[in-house]
Amino acid sequence: MSLLEIDNLSVRYGPADAPPVVDGLDLRLETGEVLAIVGESGSGKSQAMLALLGLVDPPGRVAADRLHFAGHDLLALGERQRRRLLGKELAMVFQDPLAALDPSYRVGFQLEEVLRQHLGLRGAAARRRALDLLEQVEIPAAASRLDAYPHQLSGGMAQRVAIALAIAAEPRLLIADEPTTALDVTIQAQILELLLNLQRERGMALLLISHDLAVVAECARRVCVMYAGQAVEVGALPGLFDAPAHPYTEALLAALPEAGTARRPLRGLPGSVPGRHDRPAGCLLAPRCAYVQDDCRARRPPLDAKRQSRARCFHPRNQETP
Amino acid sequence: MSPVLIARELTRHYRVSRGLFRPAATVQALNGLSFALEAGETLAVVGESGCGKSTLARALTLIEAPTAGSLQIAGQDTAGADHRQLRRDVQMVFQNPYASLNPRRRIGDQLAEPLAINTALSGAERRARVLAMLEQVGLRAEHYARYPHMFSGGQRQRIAIARAMILRPKLLVADEPTSALDVSVQAQVLNLFLELQQQFGTAYVFISHNLAVVRHVADRLLVMYLGRPMELGPAERIYRKPLHPYTQALLAATPSLHPEPGRQRVRLAGEPPNPLEPPAGCVFHPRCPYATERCRGEVPALREVDGREVACHYAERFV
Repeated sequence: MSLLEIDNLSVRYGPADAPPVVDGLDLRLETGEVLAIVGESGSGKSQAMLALLGLVDPPGRVAADRLHFAGHDLLALGERQRRRLLGKELAMVFQDPLAALDPSYRVGFQLEEVLRQHLGLRGAAARRRALDLLEQVEIPAAASRLDAYPHQLSGGMAQRVAIALAIAAEPRLLIADEPTTALDVTIQAQILELLLNLQRERGMALLLISHDLAVVAECARRVCVMYAGQAVEVGALPGLFDAPAHPYTEALLAALPEAGTARRPLRGLPGSVPGRHDRPAGCLLAPRCAYVQDDCRARRPPLDAKRQSRARCFHPRNQETP
Repeated sequence: MSPVLIARELTRHYRVSRGLFRPAATVQALNGLSFALEAGETLAVVGESGCGKSTLARALTLIEAPTAGSLQIAGQDTAGADHRQLRRDVQMVFQNPYASLNPRRRIGDQLAEPLAINTALSGAERRARVLAMLEQVGLRAEHYARYPHMFSGGQRQRIAIARAMILRPKLLVADEPTSALDVSVQAQVLNLFLELQQQFGTAYVFISHNLAVVRHVADRLLVMYLGRPMELGPAERIYRKPLHPYTQALLAATPSLHPEPGRQRVRLAGEPPNPLEPPAGCVFHPRCPYATERCRGEVPALREVDGREVACHYAERFV
């Protein structure tokens, strides 16, 4: 049994016939694994994780054949049980740390609250543990930071505090949604290294959601590429980026400026992601795909994780014939 | 050929009130920056938050006058010059195209407005120029009558670029123009920038925090830290062998699609210091892995080493 099992997850908003924002997502995550979900805006990567956490509010609707985390059926969970699970075994870090912290409470109080709530620690023990956590996330002069308010912290420090809150109750899975997108590049490097160190030391699973393929390449061992609500390709790194099977993955990689592309036109994807009202009948990428054929326009290709085809494509790239 | 842009010891300081009971402080947002830029050339400016890149953009686009130093655009000194003429020569593209376009006007009218203000073209001529420009940036004639909300982020940035380029400026200042865009759209917009530059010979000042994007567009590179130039020179030369420890750290921190396994990261400890209290000596010394006593006391001058300018006492060590 995997730590996280997602089968056919979909998230919908609006009328019943509206296209789902997350469309039949299947995903497995093992204990201690680092998995990344990568995609552009509107790919559904964040919505899928919000659904997992039970944070999709009506009128949003979540459906799945299976949504299991560490033996708990997340769909059947009551509000009270969910609150006990979230922040304890399943924690998250978001893009904007100042939105995740309460502006009117000191950092120490917020940490102690988590420790009291989930671990039953109080008083001096909670204080000691809070200090310990700030040191683990490498905050300099940690003792003095316990009394700081969030607005007194820089973006990088605030994200460290948010990480300390997330790992306070020793979660088995940490979901990090664009954790470094708002940070400068040298601070980004520090935060990513911190997340990976914590993940290794604690044997915690890390689910990294990002739009940045280079960040994903540096951090994850497996990646799920999403496009317009669907997973289009799932596989191991670095192999998947070295020889992508799905034309969308290939195009994303080609669109990235890297050393050696200087002042030459980048090969990108023409057009933009289909909106709710202009979804193609066949493959969702068909209108933008360089290799489109008739069957792509007629039928929607499946993604079968159990078989060899790891890409949702009738005509995958980089396929060696055995 | 004379340079389109010459900056000499460009400096911009801000007075910052720190409340009733403390004396006002000075932020040295831009401190003694000199460079020249030729037509058709791109200078990329990189650095982290608070390094002064956007202050530089505001000075170059005449939004703010420099506190000291001089700025020459198209052979004319900006101090005391007629800014009306200069503004035709300098245009700007911002990060967020939705904020820089008027939501209540048709985009064709917004593109025609600079022509109406700055040229003597007739209405029909303006319309023809706008339609030609729309086509040039990959939009169609029927887009003329549409409103900004009807476009995607990438298309809006194309419109913003079209509006900036319609007066054929000599200098275009682009401040994080692709940071809000998805990577496939970013590629299209970067291609457009390069095409337009080839066609019109515009000089670009391209400000970005993304070193991969910068490497793609830059002829010359300016690395800034806390309002001061750290390294300035031909972009490829700096990328291949960065001499300033800060440039080295920036490049090392930039994630790569093909990370070498077991690569040694030069990890930069700490965060940029408070700009109200810049450190003495080299402003980078508190984070620099090679800092010595000299760095703590003596401000390194920007000097020529190995074909570029570097502000580091020990630049030769890295050649």
